[in-house]
Amino acid sequence: MAEVEETFKRIQAHKGVIGVIVVNSEGIPIRSTLDNSTTVQYAGLISQLAAKARSTVRDIDPGNDLTFLRIRSKKHEIMVAPDKEYLLICIQSPHD
Amino acid sequence: MVRVFVFGIEITEITNNIPNVNNKMFADITLESVTFKSNWKKERSLASSGCQTSELVVEEVACQSVKYKSVKTQTEDDSDKFSGFADDNSGHLAEFLRRVEPAMHKQLEMNVKSHAFDDYEVTWDEGSSTMSSIHKLTNAAHDGQFQITGLSWNSTGAVIAASYGRFDHEDWCTHKTSLCTWNLERRNLDENKPDTVLEVSSCLMCTAFHPSNPALIAGGTYNGVVIVWDLSREDDMVLTSSGIGDDSHREPVSKVIWVPDTSSLKKNKYLLVSVSSDGKMLVWKMDRKTKQIELHDGFVLMNMNLPTQLRKSRTMRGDKEVGVTCISYNNENKDSFIIGSEPGAVFKCSMSANGEQPAGNIISSIQLKSPVTFTYAHHYGPVYSAEFSPFHRNAFLTSSMDQTLRLYSMLQKQPIMTLEPGEGVIYSTKWSFSRPALFAATTDTGLLLLYDLTQNQPVPVYKLEAGGLMGNNARAPVLTCQFNQHQNNLIATGDAMGCIQVFRISDSLKTPLSRDLEILGELVDITTES
Repeated sequence: MAEVEETFKRIQAHKGVIGVIVVNSEGIPIRSTLDNSTTVQYAGLISQLAAKARSTVRDIDPGNDLTFLRIRSKKHEIMVAPDKEYLLICIQSPHD
Repeated sequence: MVRVFVFGIEITEITNNIPNVNNKMFADITLESVTFKSNWKKERSLASSGCQTSELVVEEVACQSVKYKSVKTQTEDDSDKFSGFADDNSGHLAEFLRRVEPAMHKQLEMNVKSHAFDDYEVTWDEGSSTMSSIHKLTNAAHDGQFQITGLSWNSTGAVIAASYGRFDHEDWCTHKTSLCTWNLERRNLDENKPDTVLEVSSCLMCTAFHPSNPALIAGGTYNGVVIVWDLSREDDMVLTSSGIGDDSHREPVSKVIWVPDTSSLKKNKYLLVSVSSDGKMLVWKMDRKTKQIELHDGFVLMNMNLPTQLRKSRTMRGDKEVGVTCISYNNENKDSFIIGSEPGAVFKCSMSANGEQPAGNIISSIQLKSPVTFTYAHHYGPVYSAEFSPFHRNAFLTSSMDQTLRLYSMLQKQPIMTLEPGEGVIYSTKWSFSRPALFAATTDTGLLLLYDLTQNQPVPVYKLEAGGLMGNNARAPVLTCQFNQHQNNLIATGDAMGCIQVFRISDSLKTPLSRDLEILGELVDITTES
């Protein structure tokens, strides 16, 4: 679908973005701009982490829910936007 | 009776006087046979005897397995698991993306502009906060008569190799030196006895481990021979050697370096490049089957390449070779490299350069070309080391006998920064593999200097005493140093007394700061605008 491709392109074109991945609720990647092995690795690990983060937030306050997850490391920042059916993962290197 | 008349005389008694004759002349007589022994044949004596073994003992045993067990194993083919992505047929993907895209953009934008994490660093390892010398390695067999001419860490970062030799030859080299390796991860490391000692029949001037194969190591000798050893062999570890011929070097080899082979389709193919005081830069290719090195390409540096200030007189012959002392390849573009020369000139070169050189006196099977594409501002003495930064594609350092260290940008003729630590000749300089702004330099006064470009002052942040103490209370000059690419808190130095020291640097110096690369970039790039 053109719209999906366009959105991907827009996010990828942002300064410092290394890759964008969309994962379904089972943790299987649907679309990605990175190579296969990296995509699979990120998809599996991040979806588990997002699920854990979500359950942590809901355990502390059942009325609350996870809206965004950011993991900052020495080299990059991984941003995760969760949803009922999908997960959008974006990897950015903030300082070029 | 026969009356015989012979000449009228009657001879009648002939027959009568013959005894035993029955009045017959011819009669049958049987004679007895006569035998005689032959005297050349010996008579054989025969004797016959018999023998018999004692009675044979025979035993019969049979066995047969009656129980059967069968086990099968099979590996799961993992690669097929995620060969394709999942198909998304729910049709909600576009909607989802529409929803989250603004949020994502906002965050991405904020990240680029944010200074929130600028000086924020987390230290996970316990690490050390001080610099300390953790090993002092010597080869007791050499007894201090040889200097460390080159150091190299292997591709796994566990083994350090040192080449021994001397820089002060007067004529032909008759020393017998060796290449020694120590495995620092062994528990029973003996600091005075190397794990492997490879004998060489002349001084070794440089050494380099193969970047991916931990068993291959190359070295260059005083006689101009380039040798490759294979440490995985048991007997003769010499894998191949360039020999002494028209194609190899005629003067000491100053540096050997492994370079990725850009022309090869396979990854992990490397070429061996050697440079020498005879001005030649030779590119050797290892034949896959015979494992011998063959001359693949070559360059030569001549007087006509030198800048005019370095040519001593106008009438100096342009076709005389100029010795090359060091070489370094660009981090990003493996086609371009820099070389430092004996008169002090620094050149930018290219592997695909095709400059014509006057024939001069060189005999070689391969046409030696001029590799020079650009000449930088020169040093005032031989350039002892030149190193490209592993992080920035344009920055390189040079150190020289004129006691200065210079930081150049590849795009500019004048150096960006000249450092003069005042510690005598600077024998070598190396960039750190983990921190873009950190580099080390070794001096004649026996010190290892560590510089940090993020500091505002051009003074070393650390001065380590790396040279061994000599008789007159002075320290031996430190001739070479090498950072460990894998364990980025280790640096090794080799001094003129044959002693290697391995230092552990403090965490503040080994972990890169986030602004390191930026600052290095600023230093190198800003000046190109002016």
